[in-house]
Amino acid sequence: MQATFKVSRYDPEAGGKPSLQPYTLELPEDATVLDGLFKIREELDGSLAFRASCNRGFCGECTLRISRGGRLACMTRVATARTKDGEVTVEPIRYVRVLKDLVYDVDRSLWQKIKAVEPWLQPAGAPPDREHVLDDEQLRPVRNAMKCYHCGLCDEGCSVIPFDNTFLGPAALTKAYRFLADPRDGAHAHRLRGLGEPRGMWDCVHCYEADEHCPRGIDPTHRILDLREMAIGMGIKSGATNPQVARHYESFAASVKKSGWLDEGRLALETWGVGRIFGLLPVAWRALQRGKLPIPYRHPKRAGAERIGRIFEKVERRKP
Amino acid sequence: MPKHSVLIVGAGISGMRAALAAHDRGSDVALISKVHPLRTHGGTSQGGINAAVRDGDDVDLHGAETVKGADYLADQDAVELLTGAAPRAVIALDHWGVPFNRDPTGRFDTRSLCGATRPRACFVDDMTGHAILQVLWEQVLKAAIPVYDEWVVTKPLLDDGACVGVVAIEVASGKVEAFTADAVVLATGGCARVYEPTGAAYGVTGDGVALAYQTGAALMDMEMVQFHPLGIRGSGMILTDALLGLGGHLVNKGGERFALKYAPTLGERAPRDIVARAAEEEIVGGPAEFMALDLRHLDGEELKRRFPFTSNIIKTQAGVDPAKDTVPVRPVAHRTMGGIQVDSDGATGVARLYASGGCADTRVHGANGLGGNWLLEALVFGERAGLAAARQEALSAKGIYTQLEDERRRIAAIVDGPGGPERAGPIRSELGRVMRRCVGPLRDASSLQEAATKIRELSARYGKACITNKGKRYNYELGAFLELESLLSVGEVIVAAARFREESRGAHVRRDHPVRDDARWLVHTVASLRPDGPAMTSKPVVVTKWKPEGRQY
Repeated sequence: MQATFKVSRYDPEAGGKPSLQPYTLELPEDATVLDGLFKIREELDGSLAFRASCNRGFCGECTLRISRGGRLACMTRVATARTKDGEVTVEPIRYVRVLKDLVYDVDRSLWQKIKAVEPWLQPAGAPPDREHVLDDEQLRPVRNAMKCYHCGLCDEGCSVIPFDNTFLGPAALTKAYRFLADPRDGAHAHRLRGLGEPRGMWDCVHCYEADEHCPRGIDPTHRILDLREMAIGMGIKSGATNPQVARHYESFAASVKKSGWLDEGRLALETWGVGRIFGLLPVAWRALQRGKLPIPYRHPKRAGAERIGRIFEKVERRKP
Repeated sequence: MPKHSVLIVGAGISGMRAALAAHDRGSDVALISKVHPLRTHGGTSQGGINAAVRDGDDVDLHGAETVKGADYLADQDAVELLTGAAPRAVIALDHWGVPFNRDPTGRFDTRSLCGATRPRACFVDDMTGHAILQVLWEQVLKAAIPVYDEWVVTKPLLDDGACVGVVAIEVASGKVEAFTADAVVLATGGCARVYEPTGAAYGVTGDGVALAYQTGAALMDMEMVQFHPLGIRGSGMILTDALLGLGGHLVNKGGERFALKYAPTLGERAPRDIVARAAEEEIVGGPAEFMALDLRHLDGEELKRRFPFTSNIIKTQAGVDPAKDTVPVRPVAHRTMGGIQVDSDGATGVARLYASGGCADTRVHGANGLGGNWLLEALVFGERAGLAAARQEALSAKGIYTQLEDERRRIAAIVDGPGGPERAGPIRSELGRVMRRCVGPLRDASSLQEAATKIRELSARYGKACITNKGKRYNYELGAFLELESLLSVGEVIVAAARFREESRGAHVRRDHPVRDDARWLVHTVASLRPDGPAMTSKPVVVTKWKPEGRQY
């Protein structure tokens, strides 16, 4: 069959902007997009840069944006990847730093974030003589998380990363979950305190996009929610090593407990402290201009606030 | 110019295992690899890793079945080392965090792989290699072992005949740099990409094999190439033969379950060489290009649950539902039993140069490697090579800069050279096709002659070929060009070894010499580089406790 590929070309060192370059090629009916890319490089244009390795859908190396969707090029057949115009567009995935053409900085977008979660088993004590005796049910969640082939598509789908690329993101948090689900790991509290820091698990807005984008069915959003459950279950508050974050959450909870809803003025004051609240004046000024800062500032109790307060008391009694 | 005590070339399973062993011994070790560790080929290994850990199994039986699987071409001292070290090796993986499936008592669950009479393979669903690779990488991070990834090694650095480092190109910049070391371990993987189609990753191009051969190391049993019977239609992606262990059937065009003709007891569960040979006979003998893998009588839900990766491949590649349709498959080149000749510590014969994993012939696979022994071999001999390399005493190498400058000039000449008549891609493709047609599971003198002639022609064309990409950054055309040199070199040796061995044994079936001939050929073939091509000699097989006998399955 004849196919037209439109491939993103870009060399940041040469300047300019990424542009789609068209190639027309003859391919077998069952060819994959990766077959097409190799044909371009070997026969039409030796300067095209892209990565590929296992050619079996195992390694994640050829993750690209193909006809506007994130996929593995080796597992995508050309016949099913055409757009309405009959073309196949091939680009790097979004929100990554492009190094050349289809090659992007995975170290920055993925490996560095994974390395930040101390991704190695931290056993509690000396290992047994033989293998650990474990119920297979205990290891199933670990295996589920380890199905991950590090394609980065969950991070690409994430709602937070486009706005804050320092967020650990679902891929790294799934890696962290792999250890927190593992009964052989002895550092659960230490890990959860780390993940509770800013840019960690509490920055997830649970939009479930990661679950939609994960081609391995790992449901990273659910894994992040699992991490939060574990932290709550172990009584590990966010901001264990960051007083400002701890004050933020305490103030948040205290105001909802008292009035039934969030007192944003109190939140700002208690989070930042009197000494540093003046740093927020520009924000306050912009809010005022847009009519978002009511003057005089009032924070009345909401109807049913007592009932909300009782929920807090009930939960607090249950805590370990 | 980076300097380390031990430099490991290749950051796959064997390379990382070697690095961890050297690190544990206190050595300053680094890994250098053309791909990121998690993208290396061992991650695709699905079925499992053999270890006699269950009641009713023992390391001797594991050894006996490995030797029989190898069609008695394995060195039995090496096999005893392998099977004896196996239980400890998988337990170490458990302690590092590999989530092996458990049986109802909480111990390792095991599954049956082809050629074994006991369920001996510890496994992680159908992603055993994938899980092991991740955990080794985790340990490499924990140990803070430097990894130079996306560097293509092009040449060894030599001082008085000893290997004291390598020269490599950084893919990102095109920079050519020297890495010096007191010892170098090659763990670059096999060379199945010399065939087309193949289930091997794009990078499995025999770089380390060719590098060692060009440096003076011998290559052993290179004619022994394993074809996997379950290469799926299209790209040739390989489905795990645990599917056959589970009870999948292979059916020829006439609807006949043919494997029982070739292996009356085990049928499809016979070792890969026998099943692949049977398939090749059935396919070549008839008009059908593929045979059918029939899984319809198996529990579809169980199949999906236990083989999620595989189910996905079947769906996307062949476009069929294995619960309703048969899956079209054919034998494709998978692994190479042969490789760099090494002793049990990975020593190559070139001073300070070691090898392990796919690029080495660690002598345990002989004429046919069993499923589940490959991951094991990569780990056990990777560890041994890493330890041995770490024992090398420090030295201050001379003549590095001259060699680096020479290599820089050679690379620059390739990139800046004049436009020649053709490029590397089509030559590689022709090489792969002639290897598959003439040096496949079935060979004879005339097909091998044809292959030898063709490879000479391709090598001559390669000498005049050029690259069109003159850029420095991310010049993958240059990488592929250098890989083709390795492939041509390796292909030439495979053909020479296949011509030399005038018998049929394991994966090497000579139609013109159809019988195994222990009187003459219970020997390894050994190839050494000479100016006019490979010189072939032989070396006796080490027999300790398992006398060669007939091989029925």
